[in-house]
Amino acid sequence: MIRLLAIIVFIFTSSLSFAASGSIPLKPVLIDLNNKASLQRGAQIYVNNCLGCHTLKYQRYVKFIDHLSLSKETIENNLIFTTDKNGEPTKIGSLMLNAVNPDSAKEAFGVMPPDLTLIARSRGTEWLYTFLISFYQDDKRPLGVNNALYPNVGMPHVLSWMEGLKKPVNLEKDQYEYISKGTMSDKQYRKSVTDLVNFLAYVSEPAQLDRYRIGFWVILFLAIFSFIAFLLKIEYWKDVK
Amino acid sequence: MNKFMAWIDERLPVSNFVRNHLSQYYAPKNFNFFYYFGALAIFIFILQIVTGIFLTINYKPDAAQAFASVEYIMRDVEWGWLIRYMHSTGASFFFVVIYLHMFRAMLYGSYKNPRELLWLFGMVIFVLLMAEAFMGYLLPWGQMSYWGAQVIISLFSAIPYVGESLALWIRGDYVISDATLNRFFAFHVIALPLLLFALIYLHLAALHTTGSNNPDGVEIKKNKDENGIPRDGIPFHPYYTVKDIFGLSVFLIIFTFVVFFMPELGGFFLEKDNFVPADPLKTPEHIMPVWYFTPFYAILRAIPDKLGGVLAMGLAIFVLFFLPWIDRCSTKSIRYRSSTYKTLLTLFVISFFALGYIGMSAATPLLTWAGRLFTLIYFGFFVALYFTSANEKTKDVPDRVTMHD
Repeated sequence: MIRLLAIIVFIFTSSLSFAASGSIPLKPVLIDLNNKASLQRGAQIYVNNCLGCHTLKYQRYVKFIDHLSLSKETIENNLIFTTDKNGEPTKIGSLMLNAVNPDSAKEAFGVMPPDLTLIARSRGTEWLYTFLISFYQDDKRPLGVNNALYPNVGMPHVLSWMEGLKKPVNLEKDQYEYISKGTMSDKQYRKSVTDLVNFLAYVSEPAQLDRYRIGFWVILFLAIFSFIAFLLKIEYWKDVK
Repeated sequence: MNKFMAWIDERLPVSNFVRNHLSQYYAPKNFNFFYYFGALAIFIFILQIVTGIFLTINYKPDAAQAFASVEYIMRDVEWGWLIRYMHSTGASFFFVVIYLHMFRAMLYGSYKNPRELLWLFGMVIFVLLMAEAFMGYLLPWGQMSYWGAQVIISLFSAIPYVGESLALWIRGDYVISDATLNRFFAFHVIALPLLLFALIYLHLAALHTTGSNNPDGVEIKKNKDENGIPRDGIPFHPYYTVKDIFGLSVFLIIFTFVVFFMPELGGFFLEKDNFVPADPLKTPEHIMPVWYFTPFYAILRAIPDKLGGVLAMGLAIFVLFFLPWIDRCSTKSIRYRSSTYKTLLTLFVISFFALGYIGMSAATPLLTWAGRLFTLIYFGFFVALYFTSANEKTKDVPDRVTMHD
């Protein structure tokens, strides 16, 4: 009975929070997948802060060699912190998984932290950026923080060691004041979040690195082909009166 | 070479076939822009079959693996992303092309005597194509795949007495599940493509029996020269083959632009929610079918009663089958028809677009009423056409086709 009540309360509150999401305007973020340094920094932030809870279960480490211009050694020494089931360091060809136990995660956060491989495609990069800069102190929440974009989200402010912690002066007007300092200035933090979102945009669809480049040549070829096809059509149709 | 062909021809009438259907098949010489879309539809059909075969090689029709296998195709299969985007973009472009192809028939009366059967085969193709697209959309097993299918199949349960059992029979389960995914996969990759292939064959056979209509609606076979060749006809090959190659190459520029630069087309071709794996416990905020179904979806939502909505939606498609008999005007082309018909057709097109927009928007009271208005206009077109077309004031149709360049 208590479980049933808990479920009903959960459904009610989660639908409330869902309806309330998107209540603040999304902030623009510049995505540049050609900026390898930004993607590398984003990858670093991700494995150090996010991967512990959020898998990238469709992404393989080995892809960073081509896509992020990193060497095999750099990846193995700086981005792979997990071990496989034999206790050996995770192989570079593996998917980016973690060792989260779903039951413990549910107990701690209320939900299993979602896989984030495709989050930039389902939520959008602006949503991610806004979400990551919208955490604020809220003692009413179990983890002490809340989020202006996604009210009552179950996620703690993992990056507070970088950003510091702010409390709202006027939540509607998006005004805050910092109550503790992190390792970064506000500007640096936003830049780091941009790198992280940039990385997630890449992870959500690595094909982007290829398709724009190839697409240009395909369309150039087709344009020339169309022109020749047009001349051929004109030539044949000369005798149709 | 000639000897070889002679050997073949004694055993299989290849040369004869080429003569009858290409080099000595006479098509009207005045085809315009709208006449590209038949050939383009065949091209896309072949493209979908070929890309589909490659997708099937790596796709797993299993509720636990389907979503991941699509991502595997997108990331780990060499050129998998290109194959998948060609297939997903191809699905949307198939409908763009088919809608324009059907609109062409309405412009120039291509469904009229003697081409009623041609139209009926085409309509069956259209319905099969909708089923094909609907079932294919379930396969990526994203949130919109799942909930879209859930909504559409639950419509069957509105049918009195047998509805619930029918929906259960289609799903193979009480909700959309692995069982549904498996059977939809079977239908999508084998059953419906085979049927489509057969229907396209019949559609073409019927076309080559009557010959093509044209923008003037003049029957070119009624005016033949001393050799029995239509005076306004030109051999399909080489004239229309070179013209269609040109049309195809321009089409491919637009098509590849979408494939390479905007495969999601702002959520129209690939919906955002479909990048979240299907979750039977979490309904998305806003369930919407893909754009090509939204006009009919808007008609469904316009009727306050569930069964009524389902019937109206079915009727919206079903009524098109009867167009050759609803439109009683003997003049085919819009060029020589009354301003009444031009007005009616314009209203019909506006209502189709408006319903398409309404069907993809979240329901508001204003949009619901707009949906009802445009549903009325949609059906009103057929009613008004039936009554006005019998005694329509038409212009004189010329004896020969006219050329506009």
